[in-house]
Amino acid sequence: MSSQDSQDIETATTAIESAPDTKTRRYDRQLRLWAATGQSALESSRVLLISGSATSTSILKNLVLPGIGHFTILDHAKVSHSDAGNNFFLEGYNSIGKYRAEEAVRLLGELNDSVKGCADTRTLESILESDPEWITSFTIVIAHNLDHTLLNKLSALLWKDTKYPPLVVVRSAGFLADFYIQFREHTIIESHSETSPSLRIDKPFPALREHALSLEFEKMDSTEHGHIPYVVILVRALENWKESHGGSLPKSYEERQQFKEGVLALKVKEDEENFDEAEAQAYRCWTETKVPSEITALFSDPALSTEAMDSNRSPFFHLLAALKEYTEQCDTHTLPLTSTLPDMKSDTHNYIRLQRLYKTRAEEEKQAFKSYLRVPVDDAMVDSFVKNAHALVVLRGKPWGTFNEDKAALVKSLSAMPKETCIHLALSALSLLQVGDTSVSPSAESIRAKIQTIVGQSTELPADADNAIGEIARAPFSELPNTAAFLGGMVAQEVIKMITKQYVPVKGYCVIDLIDTWTGTIGA
Amino acid sequence: MATEIHVNCAATSSDWQDRYYHVDQILDRPGPRTDPSFLAGDEVKDFLRNKCKILVIGAGGLGCEILANLALTGFKDIHLIDMDTIDISNLNRQFLFRPADVGRPKAIVAAEYVMKRVPGVKVTPYYGKIQDKDDDYYSQFNLVICGLDSVEARRWINATLVNLVDPENPESLKPLIDGGTEGFKGQARVILPTVSSCYECSLDMLNKPTTFPICTIANTPRLPEHCIEWASVLEWPRVHGDKKLDTDDPEHIGWLYSIAAARAKEFKIEGVTWSLTQGVVKNVIPAIASTNAYHCWYAFKIATSSAAYLNNYFMLIGTEGVYSYTFEHEKRDHCPVCGGEALEISISRDWTVEQLIEMLTEKQYMYLEKATRPNLEKKVSDLVPDGGEVVVTASTLPFSLSLIVTYKGM
Repeated sequence: MSSQDSQDIETATTAIESAPDTKTRRYDRQLRLWAATGQSALESSRVLLISGSATSTSILKNLVLPGIGHFTILDHAKVSHSDAGNNFFLEGYNSIGKYRAEEAVRLLGELNDSVKGCADTRTLESILESDPEWITSFTIVIAHNLDHTLLNKLSALLWKDTKYPPLVVVRSAGFLADFYIQFREHTIIESHSETSPSLRIDKPFPALREHALSLEFEKMDSTEHGHIPYVVILVRALENWKESHGGSLPKSYEERQQFKEGVLALKVKEDEENFDEAEAQAYRCWTETKVPSEITALFSDPALSTEAMDSNRSPFFHLLAALKEYTEQCDTHTLPLTSTLPDMKSDTHNYIRLQRLYKTRAEEEKQAFKSYLRVPVDDAMVDSFVKNAHALVVLRGKPWGTFNEDKAALVKSLSAMPKETCIHLALSALSLLQVGDTSVSPSAESIRAKIQTIVGQSTELPADADNAIGEIARAPFSELPNTAAFLGGMVAQEVIKMITKQYVPVKGYCVIDLIDTWTGTIGA
Repeated sequence: MATEIHVNCAATSSDWQDRYYHVDQILDRPGPRTDPSFLAGDEVKDFLRNKCKILVIGAGGLGCEILANLALTGFKDIHLIDMDTIDISNLNRQFLFRPADVGRPKAIVAAEYVMKRVPGVKVTPYYGKIQDKDDDYYSQFNLVICGLDSVEARRWINATLVNLVDPENPESLKPLIDGGTEGFKGQARVILPTVSSCYECSLDMLNKPTTFPICTIANTPRLPEHCIEWASVLEWPRVHGDKKLDTDDPEHIGWLYSIAAARAKEFKIEGVTWSLTQGVVKNVIPAIASTNAYHCWYAFKIATSSAAYLNNYFMLIGTEGVYSYTFEHEKRDHCPVCGGEALEISISRDWTVEQLIEMLTEKQYMYLEKATRPNLEKKVSDLVPDGGEVVVTASTLPFSLSLIVTYKGM
């Protein structure tokens, strides 16, 4: 059996595990975030880092520790005096003159024996020419402060096919940085949303309705009465209300107050917390359970068209197509019922009985949902999909750099988010001005002029531009260890979300200002 | 202690040319938003590399990150306090430790590692409690950075640094940088004792720990957590008497797990697992390497004034996209640590001392003192006149709270 939901009660409550093994203990704190499914996705991933800079090794450190499968550092540079001073994954003076990739791979490898690291000292240029398949064979590619011509070639290559890996572009200078994830399509089942699915109190399924109506509140002793779960109280109160109001729900503010008072009037003792809970949860009675608008929007996704489905490879869209059909066909026009009941004031017997009702019904609806599936999908995935049906996410991205070619979007962004946009533009200008030569620092004037060519000469830059330009001119080639560490944390976190397909990654250019300490997102 | 010798590791032969190429770009010239007090050039570098003495408290997830970054940015005289030893579950993020180090003191291993990796840096470890050290010890530092996992320890160091401040002596003000993480969320803040809001001022921002009513645990369990609490809170003391539960001992966790699983079976409750048992009894907080990297920043900026430092609270939430929030948390007038004013409370004449203590504990002001026990059932109004002052203390914290008690309906 693939999930707990489908186990019988004996197996679910008696299977005693032994103490966890070494690997589970080592990864305990992260398994609580992304579970075994996320961990296995990480372990089968292969990550390519372009350059062995301090920022790159910081990112890698935060990926090697949680246990990705493999990483390669592509870097033909030798360790310079300045590299040896700002990179924790070089051995200071002793590393100078050796290949940066080899030194970094050796020292990063010490962090986790189960991760395989490779150093590649070819140039990216030569690989783009002769061996592009090598690049596209990775799970994800990350590039830090890459020369803009090579970056354009790399991003164009990785955009070519939906099967190709996402590209994370990271740029930094001094206290300022931004990063962008280029991907065509990213689907998420386990988004770890904080909204919980409907308990369907307004549209009770038959067994729940029967159960609620069959209980004789009046005949219960006071202990039992004080432990009726609020779900049951509400279902019953709502049925009674509908009966006396020609089948309609409490609509106006007055009616709703009246309904709540009616719930409280059912108390036989003042301190019955279950009735207080029912009153507090009464809004569930008039919040109509229907397919959430975000999910309805997914139903018109182009990937669900007949032609697209015929060639579609991902089980996600087959599941989504089945969900669409299911919600159209089932009599409640809702998502399949959740099997997870929140905790509520009750005794064990009443709570477990209610939980069983939900589980049984959820299982029936899941089976009904499965009958709409056109292709076989792994049971564990179906379970997870149904459980998270209220919080599915489909993201569609744009190629790296399209934002800078869209003058109208830039102008809009300059007025809506001036600080963020100016930093992004100043970093873009630096990258255009920087042609491999770090002996001459670009002046503030040349950075400003370059920004004007991006946004158009007639566009007036906001006052925030001075801050961004001045800061870039101050330290154009500075890779501060702390900025590297901060970026290392943020980028690794987003990469983990991309690889595990859990949680929701950032969309657009994430801009970071470590002078005033803030982050912001533009160009989404 | 005050007798410790300050070894100046200034400009050793290990300072090869261009070692600080990246950092020096920031230190050689001001930027558009740099504070006017910033003295670009040799003076600030000399302070950072030869004079500044910094204390790091905690060598866990945050501590490892802080240490490595302080060393790379050029701090040369770093002290480190930590009372823990290395556990295997630390290795997924505490990158200065290896499997062979499990069981060794974190402070010692971290210090050795950083000194080996970053030549010329001196890290002086202390394997023990922050409470072992006195005011003289804390006075020797220019700056204190915390990567702690306990509220109690944070309150202690915060109060200690506030008490150190002598208005006549600007050197006595030691900026405190504090941070914390939980899963994909992280936060960092800068505290200038007596000047800005302190840790105690913001206690009400803490999430209350999840607790289950004892009657639910004993009589009406519904969740697997209720069964686990039953095993640890009720069954452990009943069966083991005075033997203390060690949540790091796998045998103890194993015992709790089997008891909780048996109870779950009896009540037909699903979901008791080893991992959940450990999570509930240890109050395990998910933690990953990436979140720890956020807040190693502020020390460098404060020590060098090379950029505005955080004013004064930064939160980052990474579960959905990247969302951050920076704001100025304000001082609280009635803060028992830095506010100086007595807290006025109005209570019913019928309140017992126990009720008053319960209220104070709930607001996390203080914890119950044994010495108060004989008076618990007495009415507060029998002991304290209307408008009278009560001084509340806790043995774990180096400060007291003054309460002015008035009675309702007077």
